[in-house]
Amino acid sequence: MIEFINVAKVYPNGIDVLKNINLHIGKEEFVFIVGASGAGKTTLLKLLYREEKPSDGKVILERVNVADLDAEQVPYLRRNIGVVFQDYKLLPKRTVYENVAFALRVTGAPRSSIRRKVMQALELVGMLRRANAFPNELSGGEKQRACIARAIVNNPALLIADEPTGNLDPATTWDIMQLLEKINRRNTTVIVATHNKGIVDDMKRRVVALEGGKIIRDQMLGGYSV
Amino acid sequence: MFSSLEFFIVEAFRSFRRSALMSMVAIGTITVALVIFGIFILSVLNLGNIVGSVSSGLDITAYVDAPISLEQAGELQIQISKMPGVEKVNFISKSEAWKQFQGEFGTKLNLSDVVSNNPLPHTFIIKVKQPDLLPGVAKAVSNIKIVDEVRYSGKFIDQIRSLVEAVRIGGTALVLLIAFATLLIVVNTIRLTVLARETDISIMKLVGATDAFVKWPFIIEGILIGVLGGVCSFLILKFSYEAVVARITTALPFLPLLVNQPILTFVYVLMIIGGTALGMLGAYISVTGVLKAEF
Repeated sequence: MIEFINVAKVYPNGIDVLKNINLHIGKEEFVFIVGASGAGKTTLLKLLYREEKPSDGKVILERVNVADLDAEQVPYLRRNIGVVFQDYKLLPKRTVYENVAFALRVTGAPRSSIRRKVMQALELVGMLRRANAFPNELSGGEKQRACIARAIVNNPALLIADEPTGNLDPATTWDIMQLLEKINRRNTTVIVATHNKGIVDDMKRRVVALEGGKIIRDQMLGGYSV
Repeated sequence: MFSSLEFFIVEAFRSFRRSALMSMVAIGTITVALVIFGIFILSVLNLGNIVGSVSSGLDITAYVDAPISLEQAGELQIQISKMPGVEKVNFISKSEAWKQFQGEFGTKLNLSDVVSNNPLPHTFIIKVKQPDLLPGVAKAVSNIKIVDEVRYSGKFIDQIRSLVEAVRIGGTALVLLIAFATLLIVVNTIRLTVLARETDISIMKLVGATDAFVKWPFIIEGILIGVLGGVCSFLILKFSYEAVVARITTALPFLPLLVNQPILTFVYVLMIIGGTALGMLGAYISVTGVLKAEF
């Protein structure tokens, strides 16, 4: 499903964040990308949803080189990818329902199907009862659930989570990870960038470790460190 | 599409309300710019009207010194009035002119003491259809053998003509300049409202909104701001123009100012259309610029 072929990324200021990345991720896999801050995790994910373009190499998603897409095609790529952020990126003046519906609205989805899909997504993440709350009325865990609901409401084939538990306490972190596993079981490929050793070690999933922009380890059923 | 259109309109009004202060600033900017623009157009139109009516009062005077009979004078009058461009010819005979002259000055001095014979010529006063025909008609009349002298305010006409021309060219340039300046101000003001919603735009883009989809609510908001600015400037311009005209008419009743003419309605409608276009174009340029630069 996903293939990074000889990918390098150098930012305009000359910093090379990724060097010679070769990585294959299959359909419905659950993969952790681990590494210290600045190792290149976020950049690697950004290449997938074309927030960044590689300086060299190919990023293939469903047989399409994402790097070659015209700017006009990028929105359609993103509708097939759900993205979850550490800082949630919820619209502060909209309710949870509106935030989730927003992702469908911008795709021009008919109103009749929006309500049904939003309700399903909120039910999946356990936020139905908080549908009318505004982000500032939510706890960190609830905000992240709302963010996940927005990411999956389009039923994407791929869910990317960049430090999804970075701002959460251990108990909530575990809830969110279980939620991501649940989504993975519904045939969605999930890629999680994190430096939370506890969850990586506990969940025993495939681990891709980055250091200084290079893949230093790619291990099935791995832990945070060797 | 209907669902999207509804979304755009709802979003536009929501954002208009949410950034009320910014919207007011944008409306105020458009209003001020359009009022200046409108004052300028009304001034040019009125100046043109005044110049036109002054020019239409101008005529040619032809003098004949030789003694001619009334019959000959009548023939000459017909000859001149048949010339192209001539509207009307009045004949004032030598003796009539003398009588008029005596009537005007006779009480102050006894003219018979100064001159024994009537020194005045026969006079033909020729009205032309358009002020710019004056030089041609004057030349044609002066070619008639019996006519001794032809006078018309040629220099004055030329001056007025060059004034009208200068006002027209300078006015067009100034109008374009003001329109451009207004557009820049509006673009910048709306740019601020766009930048204020940078987060919204980045989230829209992340969840797969096309650029067109991001732009529409801003463009509709721009139209809304523009229409309101246009209506405000129309009201200010209409009422202040009417008040100013009423004052000037009282002080200088002979000045031919434009009142209740269709051209005024046209100017007022232009204010609203201009405001709408400015708002729309301003929003389009700024949102396109921000999308290109930031996302």
